Amino acid sequence: MSDMEKIEVDALVVGSGIAGLQSALDMADQGLSVVIVEKRPSIGGKMISLSKVFPTLDCASCITTPRMASVSHHPRITTLTYSTVDAIKRENGVFTAAVTRKPRYIDEKECISCKRCEDVCPVYLPDEYEEGMGAKKAITIPFTNAIPQLPVMDPEHCIRCGACARACPKDCIDFLQQPAPVEIKAKAVILATGYETTPMTAKKQYGMAKLPNVISPMAAERLLAPHGPYGRVLRPSDGMVPGSIAYVQCAGSRDKSIGVPYCSRVCCMYAIKQAILLSGSLPIADITIYYMDIRAFGKGYEQFYNNARAMGINFVKAKVARITEDEKHNPILRIERQEGSSAPEEVKHELVVLSQGLRPGDDVSRYGLGAELNDFGFVKLSDETVSSAVTAGAGVFAAGVSKGPRDIPDSVVDAGSAAMEAISYIRKL
Amino acid sequence: MDEKIKEEASKDNYRQEPKVGVYICHCGGNISDVVDVKKVAEELSKYPGVTVAREYPFMCSSNGQDLITEDIKNLGINRTVVAACSPSLHDLTFRGVLQRAGVNPYLHEHVNIREQDSWVHKLDHAGATAKAIKLAQAGVEKVRRKDPLNAIRVAAEQRVAVIGGGVSGMRAALSAAGKGLEAVILEKGPRLGGKLLDLGRLYPSGEEASAVVKKLEDLVRADKKITVHTDADIDFVGGFVGNFKINFKLPGGKSQQVKAGAIVMATGYEHYKPYKGEFGYGEAANVLTLPEFISLMKKLPAGRLEYGGREIKSLALIHCVGSRQVEGVHKPQADGKINDYCSRVCCTAAINTANQIKEKYPGVRIYDVYRDIRTYGMMHESYYEQASKNGVLFFRHTETDQPVVTSDRTGHNVKVKDVLTWGEELEFKADLVVLVTGLVPSDISLIKSQMKMPSSADRFLQEVHLKLRPVELANAGIFIAGAAQYPMDSTEAMASAGTAASKAGILLAEPDIPLEPFVAVVDEKKCTGCGLCPAECSYDGALTMSEKNGKKVAVVNPALCKGCGACVAVCEPRAIDVAGWTLAQFDAMVEAIAKE
Amino acid sequence: MPPNKKKILIITTNHSSYPGADAVGQARLAYEANTYIIRVPDPVMFPEDFYLGAFDKGIGGIIIMSSGSDCPYEGAYERLSKRVARVYEKMKARGIKADRLKLTTICTVCRAAFLKEISEMEKAVAAA
Repeated sequence: MSDMEKIEVDALVVGSGIAGLQSALDMADQGLSVVIVEKRPSIGGKMISLSKVFPTLDCASCITTPRMASVSHHPRITTLTYSTVDAIKRENGVFTAAVTRKPRYIDEKECISCKRCEDVCPVYLPDEYEEGMGAKKAITIPFTNAIPQLPVMDPEHCIRCGACARACPKDCIDFLQQPAPVEIKAKAVILATGYETTPMTAKKQYGMAKLPNVISPMAAERLLAPHGPYGRVLRPSDGMVPGSIAYVQCAGSRDKSIGVPYCSRVCCMYAIKQAILLSGSLPIADITIYYMDIRAFGKGYEQFYNNARAMGINFVKAKVARITEDEKHNPILRIERQEGSSAPEEVKHELVVLSQGLRPGDDVSRYGLGAELNDFGFVKLSDETVSSAVTAGAGVFAAGVSKGPRDIPDSVVDAGSAAMEAISYIRKL
Repeated sequence: MDEKIKEEASKDNYRQEPKVGVYICHCGGNISDVVDVKKVAEELSKYPGVTVAREYPFMCSSNGQDLITEDIKNLGINRTVVAACSPSLHDLTFRGVLQRAGVNPYLHEHVNIREQDSWVHKLDHAGATAKAIKLAQAGVEKVRRKDPLNAIRVAAEQRVAVIGGGVSGMRAALSAAGKGLEAVILEKGPRLGGKLLDLGRLYPSGEEASAVVKKLEDLVRADKKITVHTDADIDFVGGFVGNFKINFKLPGGKSQQVKAGAIVMATGYEHYKPYKGEFGYGEAANVLTLPEFISLMKKLPAGRLEYGGREIKSLALIHCVGSRQVEGVHKPQADGKINDYCSRVCCTAAINTANQIKEKYPGVRIYDVYRDIRTYGMMHESYYEQASKNGVLFFRHTETDQPVVTSDRTGHNVKVKDVLTWGEELEFKADLVVLVTGLVPSDISLIKSQMKMPSSADRFLQEVHLKLRPVELANAGIFIAGAAQYPMDSTEAMASAGTAASKAGILLAEPDIPLEPFVAVVDEKKCTGCGLCPAECSYDGALTMSEKNGKKVAVVNPALCKGCGACVAVCEPRAIDVAGWTLAQFDAMVEAIAKE
Repeated sequence: MPPNKKKILIITTNHSSYPGADAVGQARLAYEANTYIIRVPDPVMFPEDFYLGAFDKGIGGIIIMSSGSDCPYEGAYERLSKRVARVYEKMKARGIKADRLKLTTICTVCRAAFLKEISEMEKAVAAA
């Protein structure tokens, strides 16, 4: 294809979560040209869908949106959203990445983000941004703060009624749009591929995702978000306001049986944060956190934990052996206390959050960049005692959770150092 | 400095007669379906000071932009108002149009009639139209009173001063040098390496601390861009972003000065020192801190663990000494505060040490007394698991039931109310008690007070924002690397130090640091020298009183001013304003809005 | 809009409440059109007579939407709240009802709070 889109830059950043955004900004602000490739329709990663963030409880989107805006306005940063990196090869010190722009079925250059297509679309679908709670249209801008503000059409559910095409003032709708290949040439690559949470089905004793009122922490984030799907905290099975809520810690971490023996570092703190937010929105609710050790190790975290206890959140050191439910879908936890008394007991709650752990967001070994992975699929550093970003692959650096679980402050701090390693590598080329 | 600004301003500050062009965008119906854009353009074309008012379907399109360019060329338009979507989307677009057409880009005013008008008043077309007219008129009033602005540029030393030569300081210097900047390390001790010089085998690499120091030191010594001063006794730090000065004395009393554009604070930490009698420390013979024990172990041969000539067959590790302290339970520190923070590194350090004892001296019984085990890192959990396999016995207590250490001639008795055995009071004998002490900040009070650096409640250096600006101090141009900010292990310090260098690199990306022009400016003719405004200013040195042409006036240092305008509000004669956001503009805007 | 309806001046910050007002629009929520939003780096720059002058010019009500504790400027919020307290005293002396001026905090996604402040001020202005 002769008219294939080609981009030549200093550095390619894979992933646009907070680590990817920050490393791109740190490089571009020092004069490098950068391209970011993001598989989702908006930049911003996981952080943009969080409610508030520990330990300061500032709103996640208030912190992420300015970063997203700086990236999108930066003269030296190009962002390819809704695009996948299919392959990267390195020859004579230059990386060539094959990227595919997935079709949004609109003309991205002409669209003015007016949402008229979305307003008139008659097809409603579960909204994955709201973790399946709430509805979206078959053509939609993925969420309010999305960047770019471009709608994406779901071709599988679109009924080709043409309402969107008629409503569009710029004649942007293109039902026949095809995936478009892009070739990127870069001197360095930063992997900022982030994480996925461990699956809700990881532990078969925990209901295998079939209990409606046993939810993921990401769903809880959406329930707590000021602009969430219901505008308040309701439990999924019957829309009731839950009076008793429990967190099961280490539901996807510190557990060899599910292949995640490591600590995911963030779960104690996000559970405490959600508990604090819940007790704000549901003042009479009873909130319990079942845990092994509370790991409040960051700056201001222990004080945050102490505040949660002072607010009356119950911390119970216990192992949760099994979760079932009663006929009203109230989850029943079989717990073995590790303090107080020894006999196993059953406790009923109205809503349960499984504190899932983190696992790699992408298998970066498929690119064949020479960057090695550790036993759990995270990117391994060549010598972590002297650098926090250099991998075994020449010109390949890692930022944020791609190397292993870390929270937002640690990821932001990490990103700058990855940018610095890439800059110094390029300078020496 | 202010000479420089005045010169630039005078060059550009010819007051041409304002000729305002007003452009109303339809936004393809998004605005024009609700707002009567023709009426808005008509009203505006009659408004004083307006040379031309037009409406167009898409002002942001290249045809729309060309309209403005043509008007600048043909009609001599020298100020623009675009009434369209939010300025967050296209303010920069239109400033670019002006710049390309040779007009100062700050002479543009963007008026929001979409997000804050047509989209929120869908059912009130008349109201939305009236509002759009008023907002556009207010925009005209504002832009008529705008002055051309230019970014203020401060010449900067292309050099980073790194205070502290531990692993964080070395990494920061290496990263800064990697980007091409000069770096100067000022280390108060005789050697590079900081606290790692005293440590043993590190987690999670399993390498000796001395080997890690050597790797970094070799890199530092080989880098021509890095200068190292050891035994450097800093006695003065001053200046501001781009132009810091650090004076220090070398052995023999010789004074030297480093000039730097940015400073990295890699001043590290100290180990918490238990008070006399804390778990028997300083009173009973065999009570040591973990770092003291690590130093001891480095010297001991394999086969026999001994201290003070006696063989140690059993040992108790007590966690959280000097960390996670609780009001009413723990004795406050010298400043009256308790150390309520977690020191992050000690759990894994203690368990790593326990495993090394078991490896070297398998017969030694180890009791580990803790509150929570915080082995949070990627491979740290395996240390914990290994310790359990090695037979380390764990006891868990609550914050209020602290363990008690008593001593007699036969050794120490440790009493713990152990929650793992459902609150039973357990007692065991230990030949040696090792206190797993936390981390406290180094004493950098001189530098902190000279530069007015902020501290957090935990006394470590305070970043501007944990997530937005995590390695920056409120003092522009000063960054934090490593444990000066909060306890962290050496691998985490690599990330923090690399990022501190990155921020210094961004700051010094060009020989001149460009600063936003939106800073306070003083009209010296109007200034009465009353001295009220400096008292309102939160930024040290940004606004001062000084003599000029025989008159006392307020003087702004634009490198330090943040443009908040706190000074503006207290100036009776209105002699001080924030450039680009003057009170006269706002008075005129309110006047235009209020008018019937 | 009835032509004689008094206008509400809303002072927002570049950093926080102005984007917050945009978010209300992006969500297509609705409020009344007698509302005029101006933006500043920080409302701390306005002297007391700015507010009184606005009332003199015929503005019905003023909402100051500050960034609160998210304020990027050191000490600005504390100074602002002290100044507003003095404005209230002067308003009292002139017989202007206190509910025609409100100091509040609006974040970039505080949509509900934004609407609530406006509807309260609409009531105050209508009653005045």
